[in-house]
Amino acid sequence: MTLAASFLGGARDRLLPASIPFRFFVAATLFHILAWTMLLAGAGELPEFAGGPGLILAALHLLTIGVLVIAAMGASYQLLPVAARHPLSRSWPAKLSFWLITPGTAVLAIGMVDASTGMLYVGGAGVSIGLLIFAGLTADNLWRASAMPIVAAHGWAALAALLGFLGLGLSLLADFDVGFLADRQIIATMHMILAAFGFMGLLVFGFSHILIPMFVLSRTLPVRIGWLEFFLAACAVLMTIFGLLYGNYLLVIMAALIGLAASASYFWLMRCALATRMRKRLGLSFILIYISWIMLAFSLLTGLAVSMELPIPNGSTLFGFLAIVGWLLTFLMGILQRIIPFLASMHAAGKNNVPPLLSELTTEGPLKVHAACHFVALVSCSAGIILNTPILVTMGAGLGTIGALAFSVFVGHVVLKLNPSR
Amino acid sequence: MIDIPGKYWRASDGIHIDVRGLSAPEPMVSILRVIEAHEAENTIQVHHFCDPIYLYPELTERGWSCEIIPGEPDEVRLVLTRDK
Repeated sequence: MTLAASFLGGARDRLLPASIPFRFFVAATLFHILAWTMLLAGAGELPEFAGGPGLILAALHLLTIGVLVIAAMGASYQLLPVAARHPLSRSWPAKLSFWLITPGTAVLAIGMVDASTGMLYVGGAGVSIGLLIFAGLTADNLWRASAMPIVAAHGWAALAALLGFLGLGLSLLADFDVGFLADRQIIATMHMILAAFGFMGLLVFGFSHILIPMFVLSRTLPVRIGWLEFFLAACAVLMTIFGLLYGNYLLVIMAALIGLAASASYFWLMRCALATRMRKRLGLSFILIYISWIMLAFSLLTGLAVSMELPIPNGSTLFGFLAIVGWLLTFLMGILQRIIPFLASMHAAGKNNVPPLLSELTTEGPLKVHAACHFVALVSCSAGIILNTPILVTMGAGLGTIGALAFSVFVGHVVLKLNPSR
Repeated sequence: MIDIPGKYWRASDGIHIDVRGLSAPEPMVSILRVIEAHEAENTIQVHHFCDPIYLYPELTERGWSCEIIPGEPDEVRLVLTRDK
């Protein structure tokens, strides 16, 4: 056995089995294709979508739970224990959470298409229990993460938002059945804000403190601005929720402005990382990450305009699309194309038991197709929403589907390079 | 010598870097900075607080291997070696 072999043998024992994070990444990849396909099928309904069962609601949840949440779960299970320097004591709860949330998401989406309360309850239960297991495991990691207090603060706030959007989501499901909510639209908006900005948004901000410096090889980020960003972001989410709850739209407008300030702090932090980076060529993944940051700013400006009742055609739908697809999905795709080969290289053993080069695991062609299709899909769907033109949404969703298929070729290529025994 | 986070010195057995006490990802960044700043060095010793699993793909990419050797009780001692 070579020196590298004995060394890496010890290192690998500290990693979760590759099958755990990769099952989440593969599921997210498949849900990504399904989400765009569902949007394609319901393209005509998107511009004036205002909630309620149907193809768009199903596509939205395939994207949010199926892609964003499931990928975040896989990444968290692998990254947080390493960053917190405390390995997961048991791997079965992570596996159980996968086997609950993955079929749960599919059943929930079918229930949303058919407006079937039975399917909604079954799917909702699977998703909820899966998310609660994830919350428990993440809380256990965060409890031990004293070395990274800013990341942990984002994580705790994201978990609080998770409990909030889960509770609201379950009450919306029950409302389909028994119709007890006085103002379903407000509850749905609060559910969306907590899920997109509270849970996923704070996870994105928090993980960026570790992942972006790690990818670009930079110094750690300024602590004071990091705390400022966290405080502003958490305040913006809380104020939006209270503003919606009490019908105080001045509070919502102020929350949008604070959200913009939080984003400005976040962009400042990211600029610090990029300014001190060792890695000069950041590649295609960072083009997607840059686009996602622009989309974050656009989504918040759109949200501000909507809360000020400025005349933006289908402004609420555009706000949701820019936040969920423009910001969160684009960011995730940029991160996944870095993290998947990176994790695979630590698990994949070559003939000499030495990890393969990252370049051997990455396939540039499918990623270029995905990036081009994804960008045009963003522009086309956004234009379709503003202009109330379903054909533009159809074109965008078609390209999004092609892009998602191309991304699956990339993920499949990496998975096939993994040692089957891991 | 270069300006990096962590302690960094030359001893009779080569360059040493101590990254204990740094928060992620600075240990990895410091080690890679030392590697890139000393192109003539073939061996570097690292004093780490843990087994730095995220460092390995970066080392492979740069043509380096490493081995854990016995060190002090509160450290993981690594010897990085440039591949021939």
